[in-house]
Amino acid sequence: MNFRTAQAANRRKTIGLLIGMGVLVWLVAFAALTYFGQSTTAIVPIAVGIALVSVWGSYYGSDKLVLTMTGAKLIQESDNPKLFNLIQEVTIASGLPMPKVAIVIDSAPNAFATGRNQEHALIAFTTGILDVMDRDQLQGVIAHEMAHVANRDTLVSAVAATTAGAIAILSDMLTRMMWFGGGRSRDRDNNANPLALVFSLLILILAPLAAMLLKSAISRKRESLADATAVAFTRNPAGLRSALEVLAQDSTVVRQKSNSIAHIWIESPLDAKAVSKLFSTHPPIQERIAVLKAMESLN
Amino acid sequence: MEIIVILGVIALIAVFFVAQYNRLIRLNISVNEAWAQIEVQLKRRADLIPNLVETVKGYAKHEQSTFDAVVTARAKATTATTVADTAAADGMLTQALRGLLAVAEAYPDLKASANFMSLQEELATTENKVAFSRQFYNDNVRSLNTAVKTVPTNFFAGFAKVTEREFYEVEDPQDRKAPNVKF
Repeated sequence: MNFRTAQAANRRKTIGLLIGMGVLVWLVAFAALTYFGQSTTAIVPIAVGIALVSVWGSYYGSDKLVLTMTGAKLIQESDNPKLFNLIQEVTIASGLPMPKVAIVIDSAPNAFATGRNQEHALIAFTTGILDVMDRDQLQGVIAHEMAHVANRDTLVSAVAATTAGAIAILSDMLTRMMWFGGGRSRDRDNNANPLALVFSLLILILAPLAAMLLKSAISRKRESLADATAVAFTRNPAGLRSALEVLAQDSTVVRQKSNSIAHIWIESPLDAKAVSKLFSTHPPIQERIAVLKAMESLN
Repeated sequence: MEIIVILGVIALIAVFFVAQYNRLIRLNISVNEAWAQIEVQLKRRADLIPNLVETVKGYAKHEQSTFDAVVTARAKATTATTVADTAAADGMLTQALRGLLAVAEAYPDLKASANFMSLQEELATTENKVAFSRQFYNDNVRSLNTAVKTVPTNFFAGFAKVTEREFYEVEDPQDRKAPNVKF
């Protein structure tokens, strides 16, 4: 599989998963209507609205928000000319504008990209990654981060977070209504099929879990896509592959373990054993290395 | 009623025409921009060379032929205008610089000097930038040429005065050298 087919496959899968999210919202709305009757019609737009407002703010200000959450400091070209050289190389290869650059003081090697669009992109590196990696490896890492910028992954994950959030709010509201015996009693005379009622209840209970799974799956596909796009930029799968090998061998993880921004790092900062594969925001690193090795053998 | 339908169809066709035309113009502009980027990076490299040659000369006075090769290649590269000429001169200069760095290998004092080490990083990044700007240019030429040759954009190419562009192909003898196999 070369990087072009890998890019196309991952884009297709993302679209499939986003459609899955849409279907899930629709299912939950449908289940609510079946279970509680017409009185719940207004609930869906309310839940989506709340989720939109809460996620939109963090999406719009993502570059500044993530800076405070990770303690990253913006740097200028004179602070690290070599790093800026490498980033300029990748901007030339990708045709993207120069991003803002930040450093996180942490000995664990890692990096991330954020920002609402290509003009507001921010990429950050830990001091650890700058110390352990050579030129080619760093170039691979930078290409991976710039690939996130090119693929607009902040937007994709914001959309995923909005739908997952809306579903969580929705099912939370509905479970409370169930508890207090809300709408259902008023619509007792509706002749709903008991089987449909049981299904609706199941959907309402399982939907938040399913939304979480879909969100993680989208995040994993975006990581694989960024690897493939990085190769499209540098045409050097070996650089990113050996960078990932360094990350795989290193057992230290970034100190801050905020779950909410785990997906933005190049290597997941969460302890691999603590997160099961289905909920993981990143594909297993060995799998990513294997895909890149396959690309190398094509050259 | 029929008039509305007819007007609607005409409007749709107009939108389609404009979209095709704009796509071609946009692709053509991208190629021009990518070309400008190549020129910027080649200029950067040409500006770096006098300093590099001087530094190496300070330690290795007897390598006049290598210096001459670099200086001649640089002169050619700065005067070339067409895509093919620029690419040929670029290839020659890359070769000559490789020779110069090979010479530097033989002088440990030179390799250890702070000036040379900072120049080496500059040269490494400049070589990468030149290579990436070539790659970006060729990718843009590829999309433009595909659009000029494929339906439906090919019907608009003449009207938009957009033609196929030339790829930037660098002759690099090292690429073609057969690998050494030793048993």
